Amino acid sequence: MYKMLKKIIQYPRLTLPYPKEPMDSSLFVGKPEIDYNKCDHCGSCVSGCPSGAIAVDQNKLILGINLDQCIFCALCEEVCPKGAVKMTQEFELAVTNRADLRVTKESPAVSPLVNTDYRAVCAAIQEKIRKAYGRSLFIREIDSGSCNGCDYEVNGLNNPLNDLERFGMQFVASPRHADLLLVTGAVTRNMELALLKTYQATPEPKLVVAIGACALSGGIFRDTYATGNGVDYILPVDVYVPGCPPRPQAILYGILKALNKADR
Amino acid sequence: MKSSEIIDRLSELFPGDIVGEQLVNGNEIYLDVKKERLAAICTHLSRELAHPLISLFGNDERELTGNFSLYYVFGMREKGLLLTLKTAVDPLKGSFPSIAESVPGAGSYEREIQDLYGLTPLGHPNPKPLVFHGNWPEGEYPLRKEFPIAKRPPFVDREPVFERIEGEGIYEIPVGPVHAGIIEPGHFRFSVAGEPIINLEAQLYYVHKGIEKLAEGAGLEKTLFTSERISGDESFANSLAYCQAVEKIGEIVVPKRARYTRVIFAELERLTSHLGDLGGICVDVAYGFAAFQFRMMRVWAYLIADKLCGVRFLRNVNRLGGCRKDFLAGKEKVIIADLKKLEKELRETVEIIKAKSMFIDRVESTGILKKEIAVDLNAVGPGGRASGIRYDVRKAYPYEAYADLDFAVPEHNNGDVNCRMNTKLEECFASINLMIQAIEGIPEGKMAGPLGDLPPYQFAFGLTESPRGENIHWVMTGAGNTIFRYKIRTPSFCNWPALCHAVKGNIVPDFPLINKSFNLSYAGNDL
Repeated sequence: MYKMLKKIIQYPRLTLPYPKEPMDSSLFVGKPEIDYNKCDHCGSCVSGCPSGAIAVDQNKLILGINLDQCIFCALCEEVCPKGAVKMTQEFELAVTNRADLRVTKESPAVSPLVNTDYRAVCAAIQEKIRKAYGRSLFIREIDSGSCNGCDYEVNGLNNPLNDLERFGMQFVASPRHADLLLVTGAVTRNMELALLKTYQATPEPKLVVAIGACALSGGIFRDTYATGNGVDYILPVDVYVPGCPPRPQAILYGILKALNKADR
Repeated sequence: MKSSEIIDRLSELFPGDIVGEQLVNGNEIYLDVKKERLAAICTHLSRELAHPLISLFGNDERELTGNFSLYYVFGMREKGLLLTLKTAVDPLKGSFPSIAESVPGAGSYEREIQDLYGLTPLGHPNPKPLVFHGNWPEGEYPLRKEFPIAKRPPFVDREPVFERIEGEGIYEIPVGPVHAGIIEPGHFRFSVAGEPIINLEAQLYYVHKGIEKLAEGAGLEKTLFTSERISGDESFANSLAYCQAVEKIGEIVVPKRARYTRVIFAELERLTSHLGDLGGICVDVAYGFAAFQFRMMRVWAYLIADKLCGVRFLRNVNRLGGCRKDFLAGKEKVIIADLKKLEKELRETVEIIKAKSMFIDRVESTGILKKEIAVDLNAVGPGGRASGIRYDVRKAYPYEAYADLDFAVPEHNNGDVNCRMNTKLEECFASINLMIQAIEGIPEGKMAGPLGDLPPYQFAFGLTESPRGENIHWVMTGAGNTIFRYKIRTPSFCNWPALCHAVKGNIVPDFPLINKSFNLSYAGNDL
């Protein structure tokens, strides 16, 4: 008992001050950026990209990186003969509109299981949501077919460094208690129905945050017989958090963005 | 015993049944055997010689030989050899004899082949679908070459069938696929009498993403990134197994500095994973203080990863032929200091939890996996070692720099949660020690060997000890530096059936604890 108390006194508080104060991201591998003054459009990054995230136009000129598909492998930085691609330390990448992550348009497919107009319903209640939740938010995590990397990072929100509960947010065991769904994974065929049922079981008003390259676009698992291409193939998504996997702080930033509190 | 002696002895015992032999990559023996005699030879290897079946997979070689091929891989662990029996299946007949009655571990592999190739295991004791749930139509087999990867067949609606245990007072508890905690999806069907669990059937494959199909025809480099995403917390072990297989085919010499660097990352991954599991065990017995300690130490391990490579899941480290850059240079002292701090904290924490009798009461004699079952199902990793199996890939098939380093493999016998916990604790200390040894002994040199063009239709195994245990990848190259077949067998595939046995007779509230002590990957199993 004495030894236990000693430990408790030794480590009184580990919680990071983020997001009140900015995070030291000097060690992070963040968003890739292309310097067009150096780029000569040779195409080595395009052919090397494992998830096909680098977009070109019909003249093979590089348009940019579709961040929703990017798996942050840093291969483009490595293969670029001109040194035009750099991995930055930027990790707060969450957006409310997926098009903001893309340089080319995505033609969304729609799951055969969906026949309701969730999108319209959701837009109408956006404003209400912010008023309704106030400071307390219940979160349900659902893995719709990830590699478990994103799930470990969601779990990381509960560790002593991030301590999500200090925001009045808490993970709950059932979607029936939840206000917000954190969805990871590319939506596999075998999880489509479970994901849809989980969404339907969540009471209105509700928010959906998609986490990681797979949940945004299918990531490296795009276009296989067993996966859909991301969560908005089946559900309306409020915030998209790129990364493979995104760090706990990047997920936190996304959740706060979903609540429109990130700017405060 | 040399490989030639093994072949001679088998040829004597089964005269005329072995029609071809091949030794590749120094320790991989491939024998072509007649399909009719396959069951007898497999039974002999598994029962008489006690060589476990460690993988079994199909390959659509119709464009090469006109037939499907099946590969039955046996581990000759004490000799450091891999023995593979290969047999052809005529596509017109489309069936093969099941060996699951005499080699129980083969059951799941055969069901997998049935789902993905449409080949029927004749005489299988329980031939229900494995990979596909009720929504998949009949007659679609994705690992056949003619099946286009992006094809999404229409949904059908069939009720899944579960084993029914009947009797007075017996009821079922269905759990999942969406669980109460932040974990991956899977469905568990408990048959319960009062409190004790009579039977548990796990329906997995909810996160089946078609990884093996995705690799076929893909470039070697792209598949490296796919292999990093087989199972998030085993990213490094999986990509390492893949790299090893490709490096063997290309006869690429990995520089010594890269091999030591790989050991450091592999052990860091084990340490991070085990600390998470230990924290989980403490959460599941409501021991908040200890859980907090382990979570804090896990964060420290993640910080080491950040300092080394900037990616917490150790991705973007491996490259075919070595590592992508020199991750360690200039950081040696900082990393060693971090490791020593972590070791001290771990030692002090272990002292506290071991003195807590209430905690030990919960973990002792809970969730016992008997040795006979562990052997039959080829339980691997801490799950197997806790039940008396003395096996670690790093010792039996030394790779990278493990042969130069000194470490002990934990030896436990009871097979309960306590033994699995102790195995993981001892492995944490061993991992820290291995990392320090590797950092101190790392030679100067290049980080990667040259990667040339790979010959088509060559094959090799990659074997690593992931945090969860023996991890086997088999790669067969195709034309133009692509992949013809990539078979992944992670430790979770073997340990899931073992877990279902370990929970029997325990009370339902102990299931999360037992589950956590194995901490299996759904993604790594479902692929």
